[in-house]
Amino acid sequence: MAGSGARRRLTPGSVLAGLLLGLVLILLPAALLARPVAAATTVRVLMPSPFVDATAELVAGFNRDHPNLKVEVARGPLDTEAMSDLAIGGLLLGDTPYDLLLMDVSWTAKYVAAGWLVPLEGLLGDDALEAMVPGARLGNAFGGHLWRMPLTGDTGLLYWRTDLMASPPRTTTELEAVARQLQAEGKVRWGYVWQGRQYEGLSCVMLELIHAFGGQWWQPGTGPAGGQTELDSPGAIAAADWLVQLVRSGVSPEAVADFAENEALQLFAAGDAAFLRNWPYAWREIEKGGGPVVGKVGVSTVVSAPGIRSGGTLGTWGLSLLAGSPHPQEAAEVIGWFTGPETQKALVLDQGYAPTWAVLYEDSELQQKHPLLAVQQQALEQGPLVRPLTPLYAQLSDLLQRQVNGLLTTEAAATAAMTRAQRQSTVLLESTAGQESA
Amino acid sequence: MTPSLVNTLLMLPALLLLAIVFAWPLLDSAWLSTQASSVLTGLSPIANHGANWQRLLGDTRFWQDAAVTLRFALVSVGLELLLGLAMALLLHRPGRGRGWLRALTLLPWALPTTVLALGWRWIYNDPYGPLNAILRAFGAAPYGFLTTPASTWLFTVLADVWKTTPFVALLLLAGLQSIPAELEESLVLEGASPGQILRRLTLPLLKPWISLALLFRLAQALGVFDLVQVLTRVGPAGSTESLALYAYLNAMRFLDFGYSATLVIATFLLLVVLTVLGWLLLRRRALEPSR
Repeated sequence: MAGSGARRRLTPGSVLAGLLLGLVLILLPAALLARPVAAATTVRVLMPSPFVDATAELVAGFNRDHPNLKVEVARGPLDTEAMSDLAIGGLLLGDTPYDLLLMDVSWTAKYVAAGWLVPLEGLLGDDALEAMVPGARLGNAFGGHLWRMPLTGDTGLLYWRTDLMASPPRTTTELEAVARQLQAEGKVRWGYVWQGRQYEGLSCVMLELIHAFGGQWWQPGTGPAGGQTELDSPGAIAAADWLVQLVRSGVSPEAVADFAENEALQLFAAGDAAFLRNWPYAWREIEKGGGPVVGKVGVSTVVSAPGIRSGGTLGTWGLSLLAGSPHPQEAAEVIGWFTGPETQKALVLDQGYAPTWAVLYEDSELQQKHPLLAVQQQALEQGPLVRPLTPLYAQLSDLLQRQVNGLLTTEAAATAAMTRAQRQSTVLLESTAGQESA
Repeated sequence: MTPSLVNTLLMLPALLLLAIVFAWPLLDSAWLSTQASSVLTGLSPIANHGANWQRLLGDTRFWQDAAVTLRFALVSVGLELLLGLAMALLLHRPGRGRGWLRALTLLPWALPTTVLALGWRWIYNDPYGPLNAILRAFGAAPYGFLTTPASTWLFTVLADVWKTTPFVALLLLAGLQSIPAELEESLVLEGASPGQILRRLTLPLLKPWISLALLFRLAQALGVFDLVQVLTRVGPAGSTESLALYAYLNAMRFLDFGYSATLVIATFLLLVVLTVLGWLLLRRRALEPSR
């Protein structure tokens, strides 16, 4: 063997030295990574990237005013699902470096069941949400405890073009008719754009529509998952069918099947569509973009079938306290400040965020500077829709997304797809019922 | 200290590393696949007597994803092999600027997959992407490249082929360089056509390199994750969901670690079977007398 000459020159001493050197090289970085204890208490917050930018100045101000309590913000990804993956990756390792996590409303039940959150009522009081708009109070409690303080009061909204119509449509039928007519007159290429990609946004669209057609996704009840799905009800099937017909009749582009919030927004902002379904953030985005529709955009609550009144999907973000935080008291203080009326007021003014406190909706300065506020208040009071509050929500949502996206991209029929979604949901809920007793 | 003892000692760190990185997670997953460990058990493992495996056998989504993964791997690696061979033959010819050309062809492979996937997402964008701009320039209607299951699958394969063909070309080029030029010259002198040279000389001598490229690429393609995660996000209607993504989804989104581990082990077993099959096939070919 070629290396044998060299090998014979090795002495036991040199081998030992080599092994020791290897050990030192492995252990040294580990020793360096161990942090010394800080003097002032530091509360570490993990948030999606846009929130980090939006709150950077406010956080700097807080740190100036509080010499003994420091807020340190870590930048997460932009995308909601990527953010969830990152947070969960950290939480699974046990010792998460963060005290607070900015959470999407759809994660609450799952995180609670995983044992990752600390109830807040003991730290912030039983009446912590009392002064908020009723709709913004939803989705923060689960199993009799408060787990999350909402920072924003987002709901699904309907964006429309003030230059193409005098007032927004109130029903699904009206929306479709107006869209078709505008398309026929050649005023817009497309009628209505929304989120049809296989992802959480499609579940939000579906939740709104299922209720808009008189059905419901989730019937709370008993069992380990806390209820049952009703996806094969006439309302749910009508909802799916409406979406499919929008695409097949050309009111919505086929490409909507691969649209998330931003793709839909781009098309609307380019002046290529009469209606857009999106969240409150879209208002600022469109105005900032400087495209052809600036100054011609109106906002309204979402439409429902004639004779039915329903709301938009609740899509709020809120702060939760993570189990294992070494200083829950200080962390709760930071939650109080971060989600408090003053911080939220600044965020409405600077960023156009939708607030959660009732008093901010009555604030005349805000009303003047932020025209969206009146509609947002209406949307929150109209009873926004909370996605099924169950630890198994992620699975249920995944099943529904697949079926509905399949409807949009294949030749399937709405009844068959929704019946399948219902059957799969039932199988999931029943199989996990067995799992718990095992 | 005897040389063999030194050998063992020197190998120990590497073996230890392999044990930590491969064997331990695999054994851990195998154990976890016999447990219920999800949000409903508070993430703590509770023995559930093979219920995960029973669920797997009846899980059409697993078998569908297995078929999706296999089809993706076979077609994309097949195309990469053909194109890679053509590229390698071209790059092997002496000529001016060959060095630059070789460096250029490697570029797609040097890009991180997520970056290229984002790039392709934009290229395929309906209606604003560059491909649709070209279609529009010719008066055609915009095409939804990532809208139907069939076209999404095809264009995902193309994105993968674009990225990894250079890798195959590089391996095969190395193989071509190892074939002595005299052999080809003597065949030319005896009046062999280029096609004959390729069939009788180049390809047989290139066989070990082709096997190597196949092995590398198949292993990678069967574990496809990042390209799909960024380009299609398993859509439309889950038609591009690979086994790796299904396991990931179960662990990171659904927090169902018992079932995720079951998927990991099942995928591993599937890969072992495929590898053994492929190895047997290649070995039998290698033993055949050359014509």
